[in-house]
Amino acid sequence: MAVQPRRAVITGIGVFSPIGIDTAAFWQSLVEGKSGVRPITHMDVSEFPCRIASNIPQFNDKFARDVFKHSRDHAKSLKMMARTVQLGVCVAQFAMADSGMVKGKIDPTRFGVEFGAAIVHSELDDIARAAKVSSNCQPGSVSLQAWGEAGLKEIPPLWMLKYLPNMPACHVSIMHDIQGPSNTITVGEAASLLAMGEAYRILNRDLVDFVLVGGTESKLNALNFVRQSLFQPLTTTRNDTPDKAVRPFDRDRDGTALGEGSAVFALEELEHAKARGAKIYAELCGFACGFDRDRKGKAIAKVIRKAMAEAEITPADVDHVNAHGLGTVESDIWEAAALRDVFGKDVPIWGLKGFLGALGPAESLIELTGSILALQHGHLPAAINSDNPDTALGLQIHNSGTREIKKPYVVKLNFSDLGQVGAVVIKKYTN
Amino acid sequence: MKNRRRVVITGMGVVTPLGHNVPDLFKSQLEGQSGVGPILHFDARTFPTKFASQVKNFDLAKFMPDGAHWAHCGLNTRFGLAAARQALDDAGLLDNPRIDPADIGVYLGSGEGGHDFKSLVESTARAVPDNSYSADPKLFFAHSRRTFNGRHEFEMEMHTTTGRIAEAFNLQGPNMTCQTACAASSQAIGEATELIRHGDAEMMLSGGAHSMIHPFGVTGFNLLTALSTYNENPQKASRPFDASRNGFVLGEGSGIVVLEELEHAIKRGAHIYAEVTGYGTTADAFRVTDSHEDGRGAAAAIRNAVVDSGVAPESIGYVNAHGTSTKVNDRAETLALKTVFGEYAYKLPISSSKSMLGHLICAAGVVELIISVTAMHQGVLPPTINYENPDPECDLDYIPNEPRQKKIDHFLTNSFGFGGQNISLVVSRY
Repeated sequence: MAVQPRRAVITGIGVFSPIGIDTAAFWQSLVEGKSGVRPITHMDVSEFPCRIASNIPQFNDKFARDVFKHSRDHAKSLKMMARTVQLGVCVAQFAMADSGMVKGKIDPTRFGVEFGAAIVHSELDDIARAAKVSSNCQPGSVSLQAWGEAGLKEIPPLWMLKYLPNMPACHVSIMHDIQGPSNTITVGEAASLLAMGEAYRILNRDLVDFVLVGGTESKLNALNFVRQSLFQPLTTTRNDTPDKAVRPFDRDRDGTALGEGSAVFALEELEHAKARGAKIYAELCGFACGFDRDRKGKAIAKVIRKAMAEAEITPADVDHVNAHGLGTVESDIWEAAALRDVFGKDVPIWGLKGFLGALGPAESLIELTGSILALQHGHLPAAINSDNPDTALGLQIHNSGTREIKKPYVVKLNFSDLGQVGAVVIKKYTN
Repeated sequence: MKNRRRVVITGMGVVTPLGHNVPDLFKSQLEGQSGVGPILHFDARTFPTKFASQVKNFDLAKFMPDGAHWAHCGLNTRFGLAAARQALDDAGLLDNPRIDPADIGVYLGSGEGGHDFKSLVESTARAVPDNSYSADPKLFFAHSRRTFNGRHEFEMEMHTTTGRIAEAFNLQGPNMTCQTACAASSQAIGEATELIRHGDAEMMLSGGAHSMIHPFGVTGFNLLTALSTYNENPQKASRPFDASRNGFVLGEGSGIVVLEELEHAIKRGAHIYAEVTGYGTTADAFRVTDSHEDGRGAAAAIRNAVVDSGVAPESIGYVNAHGTSTKVNDRAETLALKTVFGEYAYKLPISSSKSMLGHLICAAGVVELIISVTAMHQGVLPPTINYENPDPECDLDYIPNEPRQKKIDHFLTNSFGFGGQNISLVVSRY
C-alpha cells in the first residue's frame, strides 16, 4: 500500500493529579520526589487496614464551576455529574486550552473522544433517604416493596446519569461539539492506555484529525472505598508514613493505595497539527494490547514487542520504560518477568505509583505525562520508594538521581488485575 | 473497493430471553413471541415498572464444565461465558489442535455485574441518623465491611466479563471492553472489525453481555421515565414505531460472534455466515439523554457505514433498527433513515427486535446483528410486533406483526446509545 500512514502527535495535555493540578506542578513534584499519598481525612476510616489514599483536596464543586465560568450551561451541567465525571470534563477543558484548539476551528465530524473509565459508585447521600424508608435496620429487613413504593422517589431523578461511566466522554462531546467517534473503555487500570490506542487507530484510518483522549477516576467516596478495600491488594504497614507506602519493585513493597485524578491528551494528526502551528509534545508511534492469562509475563512481553514493532524500534532505542509498577509482591514479579524478557537490565524502569498510588482507568495517561514532560525537559527524575529494588526481579530501576534522557523513545505499559495489558510507544518529536 | 483486509463472521452464540441458542432465538422471532413477563429476579411489585424481558431457566453448568467456578460472577459474565462457548464451538475453534486460542482476542461491550442491593441499602440505612438525611461513612463502614462479599464486589467491575472469558478459553489476543450503553456491543464489533482490518488480530470474539434487571437498574431508568409502565399488558409494552409507544422494556442477555479475517477463515475451512462490510461511528454532541431531534448523528453513522461498505444504498435489503419504543428514538431514527436513503427509505423493510426481546442494553446490538445474519441466511425477515397504531411521524415499512419472506444480500443494523454514541453496521452475504 503506497498511502503514507497518518501520524499522531500529542498537542495538548491536561493533568489533575494528587501531586499537581497542572503539568508544571506535576513535574515539580516529580523533581522534588514528593508523593501525593496521604492519610485519608475526608471520612473516618480508622477501622480499615489501609487508611491512606492519594486524593486531590483542592477539587470540589466550586473549583469545577470556576473551570466553566465562561459557560453557564456547562457549569450547570456539572451538578448532574459524579466527582469522577467532573474531574474528567474539567481536565478535558484544560487539554483543549493547552492545545490551542477551539470549538469551531475543527470540523466536528473529524473530532473524536475516547475515555478510560470504570464503574462509578453512588454517593451515599443520593440514596440515604430511600434507604432509610426501605429499611428498619433489623437484619435482612430491607423491603423492596417499601423501596418501590416510597424509597425510589426519594432519589434524584437524574441519578443514573450522574454515575454512568460513559458520561465523561458524553459531556466532553457536548461541551466541545465532538461529532466523530465517541467511546469509553472500561478495562480497569489499562483503560486510558487502551483508549489512547483506539484513538490512534481511529486517527490512522482517517476518520478524525483530532481526538481528546482521557482517563478519569475517583475511588474515594464511602461506597467505592469500602468495596475496593475488600478486593484490592492495598498496603497496610505504612499508614503512618503514607508518602513511603507504595513501593514499586522494592524489596519491602506490600501493596498499593487508591486515589483519584484525571489526564486528558489532545491527539492530533501530524500534518493537521503542523498546519495550525500547534505545539507538539511527543509522537505516538506504536500500540498493542492482549491478555496474559498465565500471569507469568510471556503475553505481556509479546504485547510490548508488538507495540515496538509497530514503532519500528528495538530495546536499544528505548530511553526508559514507564512501567505499571503496582507495588504488590505478586504483580511486580509478574511484570518484571516480562520486562526482563524484553529489556534485560539494559533499559531503566520508571514506575510512578510511589507518587500517585493506583488511579485505575486514569493512571496510564497521568503516568505517561511524566515521561512526556521528561522528554521535553531532557531529564528523568528518580522514581520514589524503590530505594531497595528487589534483586530477584532483575531490573534496572531508576530510583536515584536525575538521569539525562538519552534516547528518543519511551515504552508505556499498564495491565489490569486480570491480565488485560496495553502498551504504547511514544517518541520525542523532532521536526 | 478498498484494498483492505476483509472480516467475516464464522461463529455465533446467544443467551437471550427467547432462547439460549441461535436457532431457538430465531424461531421465536419468526413466531412473533415476546420474552416479557413479570420481573422475577427481585420483588418489583411496587416499582413503577413491574415487568421485564428476562432470560429464563439459564444454567451455566450446561455450557461450562465446573459452572460453580463462576458463582460470584454477575449474570452478565455468566451469560457471556455461555454465549462465548457457543460461538467458539460454532466456529470450530474449541479444542481445535490447529488453532492456538492465544491468537484470538476479545472485544466486548458489556456492563456491570450484580449489585448486593440488600447489603448496600441496609448499610446505608444504618448510617443515617433518625433526624438526618445524610449518611455517616463510619456507620456505613461498620455494617458494609461485615456484609459485603469481596469476591462478589470484584465481579461487579466492568473489565471482568471480558477478563473471565479470556481466562476461560485462553484467549490472549487484543483485549478491550467498552461501555457505551445501548451502543456498546455494536461498537465493540465495529472496533474489533477495524482491529482485524488493521492487522492487529486475525480472530476476535466480539459482542456483549448485560443485565440491568435489578433494583438499581429499574430504579434508575424509572426515575428517568425511560421505561414503559404498561403493567396491565407487559407483552404489548414494547411497541417500536407505534403511535402509543411510551418507553422501552428492559431485557438482559449476551451475544457473541467470532470475527475473522477472510483469508484466515477460508484457509482453515471455516463456515462463513456473512461479512462485516461497513462500520459507522459518530457522536450526537447534543444532550445526555435524548438523541438529536433531527437524528443528525444517527444519519451520519448510517451514512458512514453504508459508504464504508461500498454497497449502494438501494442494495441494502433490510434494516434492523435500534427501535427502542421510545417517542424520541423511533422518530429520530425514522428521520435519519429518510435522510440517508431518501425515497428508497419507503421501500426498505425495517424491524425492531426489541419489540420481542426488549432492550438488552449493552448486549442489544450483537443479538440484533445475530438475528439479522440468520434472517439473511434463511431468507425471512423478522417482524416488529405490537404494531397496531401507525404514527404519522413514523411512516416507513416496519414489517408489522408478521415475518416476511425476502432474499437480501446486505442489511444495516443500528444501535444508538445513551450518551449520544451512534453505531451502524452493514453486513453482507458472503
